[in-house]
Amino acid sequence: MKRAFIAALGVLLVALALYPITATGYGIRFMLQLFMWVALAQSWNLISGLTGYVSFGHVAFFGTGAYATGILVATHGWHWMPASLMGGVAGAILALIIGYPCLRLKGPYFAISMLGLNEVMRVLVSYFEGLTGGGSGLSLPALHASVQIYYATGLAAVAVTATAFLIITSRFGLRLMTIREDEVAAEAMGIDTARYKLYAFLLSAFVPGVVGGLQARDQGYIEPMAVFPLLTTITMIVMALFGGKGTVWGPALGAVTLFVFQELVWARFLYLHQVLFGAIIIVVVLLMPRGILGILQQRFQLPRTI
Amino acid sequence: MGVIITPAMVGQVVISGLLAGALYSMVALGLALIFGVMRVINVAHGTILMLGAYTTFWWFQLLGINPYLSLLVSMPLMFLLGVFLQRSMVHRVVDAPELSSLLLTFGISIALVNVTQYAFSSDVRSVEFLTGSFLVGPLALSKSRLVSFAFAVGLTLFAFWFLQKTKLGKAIRATSQSREVAMVCGVNVQRIHLYAFGMASALAAAGGSLVAVVVAIQPEMGQVYTFKSFLVIVLGGAGNYPGALLGGMLLGLVEQLSSLFLTTQVSEAVAYVLLVLVLLLRPTGLLGGRST
Repeated sequence: MKRAFIAALGVLLVALALYPITATGYGIRFMLQLFMWVALAQSWNLISGLTGYVSFGHVAFFGTGAYATGILVATHGWHWMPASLMGGVAGAILALIIGYPCLRLKGPYFAISMLGLNEVMRVLVSYFEGLTGGGSGLSLPALHASVQIYYATGLAAVAVTATAFLIITSRFGLRLMTIREDEVAAEAMGIDTARYKLYAFLLSAFVPGVVGGLQARDQGYIEPMAVFPLLTTITMIVMALFGGKGTVWGPALGAVTLFVFQELVWARFLYLHQVLFGAIIIVVVLLMPRGILGILQQRFQLPRTI
Repeated sequence: MGVIITPAMVGQVVISGLLAGALYSMVALGLALIFGVMRVINVAHGTILMLGAYTTFWWFQLLGINPYLSLLVSMPLMFLLGVFLQRSMVHRVVDAPELSSLLLTFGISIALVNVTQYAFSSDVRSVEFLTGSFLVGPLALSKSRLVSFAFAVGLTLFAFWFLQKTKLGKAIRATSQSREVAMVCGVNVQRIHLYAFGMASALAAAGGSLVAVVVAIQPEMGQVYTFKSFLVIVLGGAGNYPGALLGGMLLGLVEQLSSLFLTTQVSEAVAYVLLVLVLLLRPTGLLGGRST
């Protein structure tokens, strides 16, 4: 079973690596977006799925990364690859600044503070016009690098999934999950909860920064309203929840399922697709709070962390 | 920037701040009720406000009757909507982790907003009623804002009287202090949850009706009020009802005062910076709230 799974995974990765040879422009773009959602859902899962601290403004790291990359490319003439890595670093720095104080907040207060952070970032980006172009946005020099960005985004998705696997199967992951189940008990057992929460938060902020940078490069134009939307945060949360939060494969599964569903179905309901999205959220929360994997785990008695 | 700030300007913004703050207080009192009683953060609160605003708009547009009378329609309507939402969905996530209630109410909100867009289009609309201002010395007081302020103060006082003096109000406060003890004392907690969500929605609807007379409305207007209500209840102490009043007034004042020195966009960020500062320095709010 395990070997078959690894073999299938290998075949899938090779197929994805070879895909650009035959793909159309639309196909590349579709897969690139898919990778982006996998990476975002996975990174949200690292902090919120494992520790239970709901990051309700995770798109702040995405937007920060997009702007850091955009500024480095457009104003300083950097190549997009190191620039998008710096986007990740920018996301992690923001996480360090905000996480150090805010991770002390419990429950809904942390969620609200993250929501506030996202609003503050959007306003700051609009305000510093000299640096960011303000509300009229920032244009990057034209470049056709969709295939390279396809690989880079795919790599980000694979890397964050591998990170999730390594964390969840390690003592670090156990510590995080102990915090989720009972933080007081975790402290009583000698876990330095503040430190491990911060580590998880930094890891979960790095990848959205990188992905934000790659998106900025791929789109060629960014503006505050487009890179800090609450809806993006909600989408990554719903994807993680739909697949199964707190697991290795759940967020990826949820991202693939919902994204494909969105492309196939929602495009046909142009006017009412948000009603459909709202309905999906309600159904997922009420009927399958542990996601697809949660249901499978219960039925087949699988480990809770796969 | 070299702008000279005169005492009259300061007086003007203080008054504008208080006028806006009373509305914030009333709307946030609703959110505080839901949070106090159920520990649920209702992301759809502003959406219900928006629906209240549309009720007033159509009332005025189609019937042409005084828009303030539409409070008699919008409040009961949204009370019923609130009871329905609580009864059909929200009651199932009351004891779940905060993620469930945040997402669920967001889902409700986005669906309602989208239906409104579909039904009434995204056009910006306004109720042309009581335009113009009273001039008091150097100060200009918008008539519609003043009347809305008076209604907001009246309704808030009524809500407080209700919470303090009536049996149902006492049961609501008892439930928010301790659900178990309230249950032991014979309070039907499930019903209290229904009433709390209904009352909160009626307050939001009142906010919407009063806002509709003052500013232009559109289907996505609610999110701002949801966020502001979050701010207010954090400022005042979540689940602390008098705190919501103080928080609302404070938010109104801070917004207006900072708009003297900064652009409108940045003065919004000031409110969020205040939020994060209060969360960090005094997580239980200025008047002390209840931890979760």
